[in-house]
Amino acid sequence: MEQVVLQKSNLNHWVELMHRGFQVVAPSRVQGEIFFLPHAGQLESDLLCGIATLPYLPPKDIVFPQSETLFSFTRGAGDIDFSVPDRPPEKRVLLGIRSCDTVGLNWLDHFYLSNFHDFYYQNRRDPLTLISIACTQPMKNCFCICCEGGPFLHPETTAFDIQLVDLEDRYLVECNSEKGKALVDLNRNLFSQPDPSMVEARDQAETKSHTRFLQEPTSYMSAAIRRITSNSVPPEVWTELGERCFDDGGCTFVCPCCSCFGVGYTAKGETGCHYRFWDSCDYSGFTREVSGHNPRAEKGERFKRRFFHKLSYHYVKKDGRIGCVGCGRCITACPGEVGMPAVVERLRRG
Amino acid sequence: MDNIYLPHKAIITGIQDETYDTKTFEFEFVERAVKESFRFLPGQFLEISVLGIGEAPFGVASNPNHPERFRVTIRAVGSVTRALHELKTGDRVGIRGPFGNGFPFHEMKGKNILFVAGGIGLPPLRSLIEPMLDSRSEFKDIQILYGARSPADLVYTDRLKEWEKTPEIRFMMSVDAGDPAWTGNVGVVTTLFPKAGLRTQNAVAFVCGPPVMIRFVILELLGRGFAPENIISTLERYMKCGVGKCGHCAVGHKYICLDGPVFSYKDMMKLSEKVV
Repeated sequence: MEQVVLQKSNLNHWVELMHRGFQVVAPSRVQGEIFFLPHAGQLESDLLCGIATLPYLPPKDIVFPQSETLFSFTRGAGDIDFSVPDRPPEKRVLLGIRSCDTVGLNWLDHFYLSNFHDFYYQNRRDPLTLISIACTQPMKNCFCICCEGGPFLHPETTAFDIQLVDLEDRYLVECNSEKGKALVDLNRNLFSQPDPSMVEARDQAETKSHTRFLQEPTSYMSAAIRRITSNSVPPEVWTELGERCFDDGGCTFVCPCCSCFGVGYTAKGETGCHYRFWDSCDYSGFTREVSGHNPRAEKGERFKRRFFHKLSYHYVKKDGRIGCVGCGRCITACPGEVGMPAVVERLRRG
Repeated sequence: MDNIYLPHKAIITGIQDETYDTKTFEFEFVERAVKESFRFLPGQFLEISVLGIGEAPFGVASNPNHPERFRVTIRAVGSVTRALHELKTGDRVGIRGPFGNGFPFHEMKGKNILFVAGGIGLPPLRSLIEPMLDSRSEFKDIQILYGARSPADLVYTDRLKEWEKTPEIRFMMSVDAGDPAWTGNVGVVTTLFPKAGLRTQNAVAFVCGPPVMIRFVILELLGRGFAPENIISTLERYMKCGVGKCGHCAVGHKYICLDGPVFSYKDMMKLSEKVV
C-alpha cells in the first residue's frame, strides 16, 4: 500500500483537481446538522480531522437511495415498453467518510454484489471512490472498536480507496486501490514521500486512538452473538426489549448495514413506474400478508428478527462479519434507548 | 449485466375460470429468445407484475415438461390478484423468474409418493404431479388427497375427474362442508387419512395448503410414521424481490425466495423462528 504525505493546506487544491473529473461529496453542516452533500465552496476542515464527527445519516443513500426507480413503463397499441434509468453519469468521490461507514459500505457491497447482482447498486457503486478518514478521537456513542468497524481501516479486512490519517498539519495518505492512486496521480507534486518518523507517528496515532476508543462505552458482543445464534434468549427478554421499541424504523434507516427495501408502484394513464424504497423490519407491515396473517405481528418477534440478522453467526457466515459497524447512530436515533449496545448488554445479562 | 428486477413481457394466451374467486392463466413470453430459453422446476415460482398496480409471487401450476406455455392459478384476494382477474386473453403482464429451489424430482424415483393438498395448495403441487405422471413407471404408488372448503372451492375439476378414473394414481378428496349435490367425504383433509390406505414405507409426502392445514397434516403424517425429512412442504411469506435482497421473506437465516419455498419438515424445524 502506497503512503504519501499531503499538507493540509493543499487539501482544497487537491479537491479542486478532483472536481474536474468527479462530483465530490463531503460532510457539510446544514443548520448545525452534518450531512454528506455535494461539495461547493470551502471544505469544512473540522469535519475532516481525526475527531469522529459522524453525520446523522450514513452515506448509504449514495449507493442505495432512499427511493429509486427500478423501471418505468409505457403501454400503447397492445404492447408495453420498459425503460430502465440511465447509469448515473458522474464519477463521484466520497471524501471524509469515516471508517465505520466504509466498513458499512463494504457490508452492502458484499450483500448487493454477490449472489444475484443488484444492477442499480452496482451502477452507483462502480463510479464511486472512497476517501476514508481514520478516527483518532471518538464521539460519545462510538463503539466501532467492538465491531471491527474502526477506528482505523486495514486493507486485509476492508476495501477502501484512500485512507487519510490526521497528523496535525498533514495527512498521511494511504492508497489502497487503483482508484485511489488515480486521485493522487491528479497532481503528484502536491504530495511528498513520508519519512520514517511520519510512519511511526501514524502507528502511534493508531495506538493512541485505540486507547481513547476503549474509554468510550463499549459493547461486549460475544455473549449476545452466542445467545442469539443458539436461539437461547428467553422470549420474555425479546418482549421486554420490544416494549421499548417505538416501531419508528429509525435505527434501520440510520444503520450503514440495513439494506431492506419495499417496492412501490404508480401509474397515471398509460405510463408509470415501479420503484423501491427503504423499508424496515421494525414495521409490523413488513411481514403482513394479504390474508391478514402476520408471522411477526408481535414487537418482540420483530426485535428478535432485527438482532438475529445483525448478530447471529448464521449471518456472519453468510456476510463475512456482523451487521453492525459500531457507528452508534442507532443509539442517537432510538427514543426507547434500545440501540445496539443496550441490547447487547441486556442479552449478555441473560 | 442482467437486471434481476426488470420483468420480461408475457402475453395471456388463455384464462380458465376455476371457482368463484380463482382463475387459471396461461402465459407465453413475448420475446422469442426468452420464450425459447425459459425452463422451470416443479415448485418454483414467478413474480408477475400488473404494471403500475403491483407485483406478486405465484407458484407455477403447470407441467415443467411444457415450459413454452405455462399456467398459474390465482385467487383474487389482494390488489395485484384482483387486477389480474380483470385482464383478458391477449393482455400483457411482466414476469420475472423462475425463482426458488423447487421440489425434488429425480430423488423421488422408486418411492411411494403422497400428495396432500388444501384449497389453492393444489396448483403448485400440480407442477410436480404432472411430470411424475409423464414418467409414471419410475415412481411407485402415487396418491393424492385433496381437500377444499366446499365443492365450489375445488380447482381443476375436469382434471380431478380424470384422476379419479385413472389407475395410475389413487385419488381421494374431501370438502369441509358439502352441498346437496356432494356425495363424497365431508371433513378436513386429515379425515381422509384413516380411509386412504397410506403407504408409509419408502414414502415421501408433499404437503401444500393454508398454514393451519399444513400444521395438522404434518402432525398426522408424523403420527403415522413419516420421518421429518420425508415430509416436504412449502412456506409462504410476504415477498417483494424474489432474489434475497429486499429482506421481507427472511425466516431465521433463510430466505423463502432463495432457500425455499420448498422445505422438508426437518429443515423447517431448524429455522430459528416458528413456521408451522
